[in-house]
Amino acid sequence: MRRVAAASTMADKQLAVTAAASAFQKEWFAQLRQRVFERREPYALVQADVPFELFDLLDVPAVSNQWWAAVIAAKQQAPGLLDAMAADGLHDGLCRYCSLGYASMRYGDAASVPWGGLPPPRLLCARLTCDCIHRVFSMWADACGADFVEIDHAGAGELQPEWWTLGRRRWRELVEPHRLAFTVAALEALVARLEAISGRRFDPGALRARLERVNQQEEIFDEVRDLIAAAPECPVRMTEQISNVMATQWVRGSDWALSHARAFRDEVKQRVDAGIAACPGERVRLMWVGAGLWHDTDFYNAFEASHGAVFVWSMYLAFGPDGYIRYGLDDPMAALASRTASFNEYLHNPPWAPDWIAHQAVQHRIDAALVLRPRSMKPSATGRLFIERALERAGVPVLPIEADVVDARAWNPEAARAAVRSFLDERMGA
Amino acid sequence: MSTAIDTLTAAFNDAFAQLGQSAEHDRRVVVTSWPSLPIEIVRASGLRLVVARASDTATPAADSHLEPGLFPGRVRQLVDAALAGRLAHVARVVVPRTSDCDYKCFLYLRELVRGGLAAAMAPTRLFDLLQSDGAHVGRHNVERTRALADTLADASGHHPSDDELRDEISVTNTARAAARRLAALRIGAARGSGTELFPLLGAFWHLPPREYTSLANQAADDLARRAPLPGPRVLLAGAPVDGTDLHSAIESRGAVVVDELSAWSRGGADDDIRCGDDPMAALADACRCRTIGARLPAAAMRDRVERALDHVDAVVVSLPDDDATFGWDYPALRERLSARGLPHAVLRGGAHPFPSSAEGERLERLVDAASRRRVHHG
Repeated sequence: MRRVAAASTMADKQLAVTAAASAFQKEWFAQLRQRVFERREPYALVQADVPFELFDLLDVPAVSNQWWAAVIAAKQQAPGLLDAMAADGLHDGLCRYCSLGYASMRYGDAASVPWGGLPPPRLLCARLTCDCIHRVFSMWADACGADFVEIDHAGAGELQPEWWTLGRRRWRELVEPHRLAFTVAALEALVARLEAISGRRFDPGALRARLERVNQQEEIFDEVRDLIAAAPECPVRMTEQISNVMATQWVRGSDWALSHARAFRDEVKQRVDAGIAACPGERVRLMWVGAGLWHDTDFYNAFEASHGAVFVWSMYLAFGPDGYIRYGLDDPMAALASRTASFNEYLHNPPWAPDWIAHQAVQHRIDAALVLRPRSMKPSATGRLFIERALERAGVPVLPIEADVVDARAWNPEAARAAVRSFLDERMGA
Repeated sequence: MSTAIDTLTAAFNDAFAQLGQSAEHDRRVVVTSWPSLPIEIVRASGLRLVVARASDTATPAADSHLEPGLFPGRVRQLVDAALAGRLAHVARVVVPRTSDCDYKCFLYLRELVRGGLAAAMAPTRLFDLLQSDGAHVGRHNVERTRALADTLADASGHHPSDDELRDEISVTNTARAAARRLAALRIGAARGSGTELFPLLGAFWHLPPREYTSLANQAADDLARRAPLPGPRVLLAGAPVDGTDLHSAIESRGAVVVDELSAWSRGGADDDIRCGDDPMAALADACRCRTIGARLPAAAMRDRVERALDHVDAVVVSLPDDDATFGWDYPALRERLSARGLPHAVLRGGAHPFPSSAEGERLERLVDAASRRRVHHG
């Protein structure tokens, strides 16, 4: 298979679609500010695991809290905001990922907040997964005079290990009936609130149509995942996978999202067909387990030249098809609820996450895994030891990386890179 | 110390540590991770409750599965007991949804069983009672409470009728009245230290209600005869406590802990439960509104603190290393304390060694300030 010259593949962005995804997000945000400031239209600040489809169908734009935190961190503006939080008495052990957006509004003078900052929301919405979510979002809603809609999180009592094999067609078996009913009721309450804000009526038929389009989008991502897994060398860097996938996930099922997903797939396929690798001469295939290291995304490309080590996998692409696709949409709200009910548990906790991640590692021919040990995200840091053991059992050596995904203050990039290089030298012989 | 006080203190301190010593004894025991189950259902089913607590005992088995800094000591003790086979003969392990750590504890226990690491362990169930508002939450909670009753009936062979539940609520309310007598002895001129009284209140969860009522009333009689304790009165806020280490540290510096935010002490001393037509619904709603823990909404926690502030000269805010929740309440609490002119200190220390020298000095300064305030305000 033909290999292109390293110089042309080691550019900052290797795919044309990546620049388009970034441009879309910046433009989308600028339009949001215009709608809110000039036309006084409502919008919502939401956690990443809420069903964005409902907001879009009722024409209430939704901004992902985690996406916004990642933008702030990537622009290196988090430290000032986090210092301001600490000065206000919020101790360093509290979750920074879910609260950085709040800090950007509450302590906005402490940093140069990107893109003009968040406009004041009309509504905040979050699933009550971690205990702190209720606190953070209540404070945030109070600070900007907005409503807060909670989607409480009914816990799973019956634990189905191979969730990714049940989720697509047998989702009623995956989620216990009482949890499904509870989540449907919570989503219906959310819809009622969105109807009151927007003055529009919810149409279940439109939700069904939207979920069918979401399925189409995630099927495309499934193709991309298969292309990446099967290609002799990884055709697209993990960071660019994330950029393209997440830009579409926030507006999933929209015309732009479907169009962009196809463009992404087509460009990846062209690269595979042409034998273009993210890192020609790839020697080690790496997996990143956990949320992204948003303040230092260069980290993920730092071992290509020295060790031929490429990050092939993160949860962001793989969770699209496995977490979102729901076939059998006779009752679209129930289907949506079945996705919402356990959403991020599958990514972090036993029995779901260890089995899935080990399965993904095998499918992607992963040689080694770097597992995030989050510093301040205490609740979502659980399950890590089970995941590490499952990977080791699957024959995948693990290097834990202690870091906060948005807080660079205690992050030593040189030391972290040196630790990975030593790991690759000693355990991988790379 | 009176016999009643001795007995109550032992019931609070020893119940969890004694598990695993006698299969016969354990067969009627339901083990849980926090005092937030509807105890009336447990007892009406013919079972008794034992709640895990943090202790100085090392937890090496649990530590290899529970990530450091994330789980409170009580969860580590419970998981360690499971891995050591000490929960093999209990009737059920029921983990409440009181906090994210408790829920993860449930997931971990089930995973340890699935992986064969805790093979000798009683069936483990989640009591998924939620604490947010909303009609659908209420329906969910009643359904989950009925499911808990079914689970316990499977274990005991007895499913209590509504009338039996009403009787149990009634007799437990009598125990609550006795606990309230004890709690009242902390208000105003405190007749006992927090170190002494917290276990007496906590024993509510471990003793049959008639026995508790009798012992608590005896203890209250004994305490009422004592002279009032000198020293400024302190509220222990922040993360709920399940032991007396903090009380001791504060009281060794001359103050008296007269209240703390903890399901252990407030659970028994709360108002009576009014059961109405549906005792199961009454119990579910009481658990939702009253359980002090990380998922009690901030406004409800704020109300609890506000009521307690009327009776104290200072506040200690405990935000230990594993805190991921209560620290968010601190800036608003600080404002309220400032408005009332109440001094406070924040303690961030973990359990060992506790308190650190810096935190010890902070406590001493707090007690000095509270003493001056007490003299000034009478």
